[in-house]
Amino acid sequence: MEFLSSTFTSYVALVPVTLAQSLILAFVVLGIMIPFRTLHFPDLTSEGAYPLGGCVCGVLIAAGMNPALAIIVALLCGFLAGCCTALIHLRFRIHTLLAGILMMTMLYSINLRIMGKSNLSIFGSDSVYNWAPFVTPGFPVSKIIIAGIIGAAVFLALNWFFKTEKGTALRAVGSNPAMAEAQGISVWISTIVGVGLASAFSATSGALMVQSQGFADVNMGLGILINGLAALMIGEAVVGKQSVFRQLLAPFVGAIIYYQLVSLCLAAGMPPPDLKLATGLFVLAMLALPSLKRGRGGAPAREKLRE
Amino acid sequence: MLEIRSARKTFYAGQPDEKVALDNLDLTLQTGEFGVVIGSNGAGKSTMLNAVSGALPLDSGQILINGDDVTNTPVHKRATRIARVFQDPMLGTAASMTVAENMLLAELRSKKRTLARGLNAKRLADYKERLSTLGLGLENRLNTKVELLSGGQRQSLSLIMAVGGSPDLLLLDEHTAALDPRTADLVMQATVRAVDSLKLTTLMVTHNMQHAVDYGHRVIMLDAGRVKLQIGGEEKANITVAKLVDHFAVKTDAMMLGA
Repeated sequence: MEFLSSTFTSYVALVPVTLAQSLILAFVVLGIMIPFRTLHFPDLTSEGAYPLGGCVCGVLIAAGMNPALAIIVALLCGFLAGCCTALIHLRFRIHTLLAGILMMTMLYSINLRIMGKSNLSIFGSDSVYNWAPFVTPGFPVSKIIIAGIIGAAVFLALNWFFKTEKGTALRAVGSNPAMAEAQGISVWISTIVGVGLASAFSATSGALMVQSQGFADVNMGLGILINGLAALMIGEAVVGKQSVFRQLLAPFVGAIIYYQLVSLCLAAGMPPPDLKLATGLFVLAMLALPSLKRGRGGAPAREKLRE
Repeated sequence: MLEIRSARKTFYAGQPDEKVALDNLDLTLQTGEFGVVIGSNGAGKSTMLNAVSGALPLDSGQILINGDDVTNTPVHKRATRIARVFQDPMLGTAASMTVAENMLLAELRSKKRTLARGLNAKRLADYKERLSTLGLGLENRLNTKVELLSGGQRQSLSLIMAVGGSPDLLLLDEHTAALDPRTADLVMQATVRAVDSLKLTTLMVTHNMQHAVDYGHRVIMLDAGRVKLQIGGEEKANITVAKLVDHFAVKTDAMMLGA
């Protein structure tokens, strides 16, 4: 009883901070959802694009740039990184996963070059969270408001875009590339723009996180992909993925639930170093579920992979 | 009008299993003409269709559509003039998208895609009407994902998608081969109706000799990557399956299926 109440108290105290964190990280989950689900292009670039966004934003803010402008530059850098991954796959016929690993490994060096050191503090600098209306800057509420507004805007924009003529064409490339090409859609352009867009969101998340925590670190992306996948799967389990609307909502809902669960585990006394093992086992369980349900014998591959 | 001029394609060139798939193939199809391509396995039918659609680059030779050289035009650019129905019903449609969205993709094949809303009321009404001509009830399933349709329904949808917008050239790649006889017949009837009413320039590959006899203006027989025989006009009208099969050098079981 004692344990439960102390767990509950420390969990509740963490709810606003966790909520702010999850709204920021929802953009990474979005950056994972778009390639994995919409484009059927399993992509690991986010693990490098997220710290890329963070490092770029950190350096720019340290140099005195406007925080909103710094996010936009970080976003563009992420877009370029995603374009490179897509190009590596398309031009050299390298598997998407390997192309992503290559990109993420190379980005590690690039991130170090950008910052010049492994860690950069921008504590006390101006951030977009200081612009939240009606609240005292520096509190989680201001982060929730700002990240929430940007998240809602991105969600509405994507929900509109995926239903336009161009957006429908982009989704067709993920659904059936051969058919899309036969319908006059350039698979190259759609894939490059789509994967670029996804990495742009991952980089945006990194930039928002750096402004939130007050420092940038080259290792900040470590394990972000598995966290994001776990969040995505939870989101899809809760809101489904039958329609464009639900598929887009899943990353946001998933991120909110996932980080609250993590916070609950930590409040209950789970040692933080075990977190990655727990998350990995969770993702494994989610992926293994269909095969376990079917009983013995291998299940057909769950992820449809592009050659 | 489609012109294929001295098309040449060799697979595994310089290797022991080198295979000449197209051997200086020449073929002309007049505007509005319906050509039926037959030939044994490995005769080059699929290679020819892939070369025309752009999926396979030629080693040498030219492909012209309505007089324009498209030999080096990539698939997605050629698609503005060419529509294709594949043998595999899975290939011609986007499974995870709805019937209406697939129709939209096909409608935009030859148009510039904009940032305007894709499925508007006007389009939905139009799709409903076009699908109702099939008589399969697809007009009431516009929001159904294509993966939930049967193979025959998917192939019928592919056909309606292909003939919409009156393409300069329609390619049918054994498009009824994977269907059960009754459905194959339905799809074939719908094909002939559309081709006749829209006067589409059509190239159909088939292994079904009865179809080759019954449909089209001209039978084109391929053998070892060249046109071995063309039967058109009066002669085509009087041809029988037995006579057609006699022209095959190798009488495989596949050929006899139609007899």
